[in-house]
Amino acid sequence: MAKGIETSANEKAFIIDALTQGVRTDGRKLDEYRDVKISLGSQYGSVDVTMGETRVLCRISSEIVAPYEDRPFEGLFTVSTEISPMASPMFEQGRQSDDELLITRTVEKAVRRSNALDLESLCIIAGAKCWSIRADVHLLNYDGGFIDASCIAVMTALQHYKKQDITVSGEQVLVHDFSERSPVGLSILHVPICVTFAFFNPHGVEQNIKGDAKEIYVVDPNMQEELLKHGILTVTINKNREVCQVSKAGGLPMDALTLMECSHKAFTIAEKLTNDIKKLIEEDDLQRKGSQWKMLSASNDR
Amino acid sequence: MDGRRWNELRRFQCRINTHPNSADGSSFVEQGNSKVVCIVEGPMEPPSRSQLSATEATLNISLNVTPFSSIDRKRRNKNERRIQEIITSLKRTFEQSIITDKYPRTTISITCHVLTLDGGLISAVTNSITLALIDAGIAMYDYISSVSAGFYDNTPLLDLNQLEENDLSYLTIGIVGKSEKLALLILENKIPLDKLEGVLAIAVAGGHRIRDMMDKEVRRHGELRLSKLANK
Amino acid sequence: MESQTTVLTRVDGSADLVHGETRAIVSVSGPIEPKARQELPAAAALEVIVRADVGVADTREKLLENKLRSVLSQTILTTSYPRQLIQIVAQVLESGEDERYTCKEAASIINGSYLALIDAGVALQCSFAAESFAIAQDGEVITNPTPLDLRQSKSSHVVCYSIRDAKVDSLLFSDSIGSFTETQLYSVLARGTESVEAHHRHFRSTIEAKISKDFVWKLQ
Repeated sequence: MAKGIETSANEKAFIIDALTQGVRTDGRKLDEYRDVKISLGSQYGSVDVTMGETRVLCRISSEIVAPYEDRPFEGLFTVSTEISPMASPMFEQGRQSDDELLITRTVEKAVRRSNALDLESLCIIAGAKCWSIRADVHLLNYDGGFIDASCIAVMTALQHYKKQDITVSGEQVLVHDFSERSPVGLSILHVPICVTFAFFNPHGVEQNIKGDAKEIYVVDPNMQEELLKHGILTVTINKNREVCQVSKAGGLPMDALTLMECSHKAFTIAEKLTNDIKKLIEEDDLQRKGSQWKMLSASNDR
Repeated sequence: MDGRRWNELRRFQCRINTHPNSADGSSFVEQGNSKVVCIVEGPMEPPSRSQLSATEATLNISLNVTPFSSIDRKRRNKNERRIQEIITSLKRTFEQSIITDKYPRTTISITCHVLTLDGGLISAVTNSITLALIDAGIAMYDYISSVSAGFYDNTPLLDLNQLEENDLSYLTIGIVGKSEKLALLILENKIPLDKLEGVLAIAVAGGHRIRDMMDKEVRRHGELRLSKLANK
Repeated sequence: MESQTTVLTRVDGSADLVHGETRAIVSVSGPIEPKARQELPAAAALEVIVRADVGVADTREKLLENKLRSVLSQTILTTSYPRQLIQIVAQVLESGEDERYTCKEAASIINGSYLALIDAGVALQCSFAAESFAIAQDGEVITNPTPLDLRQSKSSHVVCYSIRDAKVDSLLFSDSIGSFTETQLYSVLARGTESVEAHHRHFRSTIEAKISKDFVWKLQ
């Protein structure tokens, strides 16, 4: 990571030694995911995700634009993740470090390339008009797990978001206000969830390559673990047991069997998170419907 | 799709020391119709002091996907995010396999040119870098051999070409030597979790075969060198 | 208005501020080591970053950055931190106004940075607070206008006063867009003093709450 907070050699040795004994400094088990707190904003598509100290906010916005010429039947979807010094002073404004690039790319691949959002449903008039959905991810506080938190934030926000209803008559598109017609949700094909693993090599590199010593892996590393890691692996998986993306950009070599183990662990986590998100969205929907009813009945009384 | 069986590699040819006068190490790799030239310079003094690390060598990788390499002749921006991401991944991979602490205060610069591209960009580039590093005589723990594998209709397929890559989901792995350790793993499309193991297994087997072929070439070249020395 | 300090852990000071429809979070890191090109020999350099809630940063955010900087460069005691950097990042979470207006956001990020600076313990010359106004078609002055008010307004204003002994001291910053008369501007400025003093009382209570939390071990 960019010029960050340096960990002293003593502390480093302590943390890694603790890991070999199966203890993490924040008291979690090696394969324990942090508690994910998701709060939905008052506006559609505004979501605040907190994982440990990490805090990520996602806003969805939409507008009507012309589609790409080579893809007339598809809408547009962009994810922007820029990291400002707000998250931690070690991130520089304007300049993207390698790590930031990997974070951005991984989130984009997880959500966009896996077709989580049905782009064809965003088409209004083929070749002329389509919805452009934009997800702005703001990273507010950094304590590791940016990829995981961003992915959860984007996916929750997409499910939460509702765009204005439209009517097409010929070439004319009429956009209805929220008060005129109830807004429509986006069509989400599946919910990919990212799970990050950090690898540690308590022994020398040579021993690891020879295969004598096994590497240790931890789920959902926090900042300190992320700064000390020897290698990192991000698995993106959805509820349907489909692996959407795996990225292990170099770092400590690991066993193919360990990978399978990690993927299965990721699946259990993803399944739980997907259900949690779904429940949350449904609850929010009910609440909103309730307040709408009240408003409607109030106007009827008048 | 091109008459191969599911577990067959494409024609793999490689040569090392192709540019003996212009660089410390060089290689040329052909994987099917993908052709990659790689040039390694170093270890040498870094161009600027800021890149210097007191304990280990710094790695510089640049990747040039030529506009004439693929059918659409699209001019690729060097700073394209996808290319940048591949470069970062490669850097992280080779930082672990080169014994970097043997070369403190130096830079190793690696330049790859993709002449034609027919799938397997990352794997061809990875293999060529491994060979060029060996040719440059840079100490490494082991070979990194890379191959892609895809998945179609319940059968895993090894070493995809461009057409297959476009339509199928696939992964690219980089394996360390003859072990089953993965140094690099990139998967960008959906693969059912339960099929992943099978795809990985053939990819690992394919990677080992590539390693053997690279090893053969290195030994052939070594013997050639040796005989030349003996004749003198 | 609702405000809260120390909402982020990786920075020295932060504040989360909700004012009407607008919500912003401001963080302050400093004094920290500057890059060589930022370093000033006799004063602290200010790095002000404003980030929009939606979309990429463009000229609008640069304009806001400039407005915020003009307030902060007058109020932060930059000479006490020579050769150092104070980094202020304002993230708008909910804009609460159309894209062509900046007044509500400007007022919120000025107020937010005041709280964040205090939270970070950066020395200030004076307290300050800001408020946004709109003048409706009929000449009525609206304090902290809603997006609808703004859309129907003739002009929009931001005023920021420095505060001494809980009383308005001098005008630090005022920004107006639209057509308005001189008397209208003066009435905006007069209205500004009231609401700015009210804001200041609110900030005081926020800061008191923060201090009682920070020094909980001492007070008991």
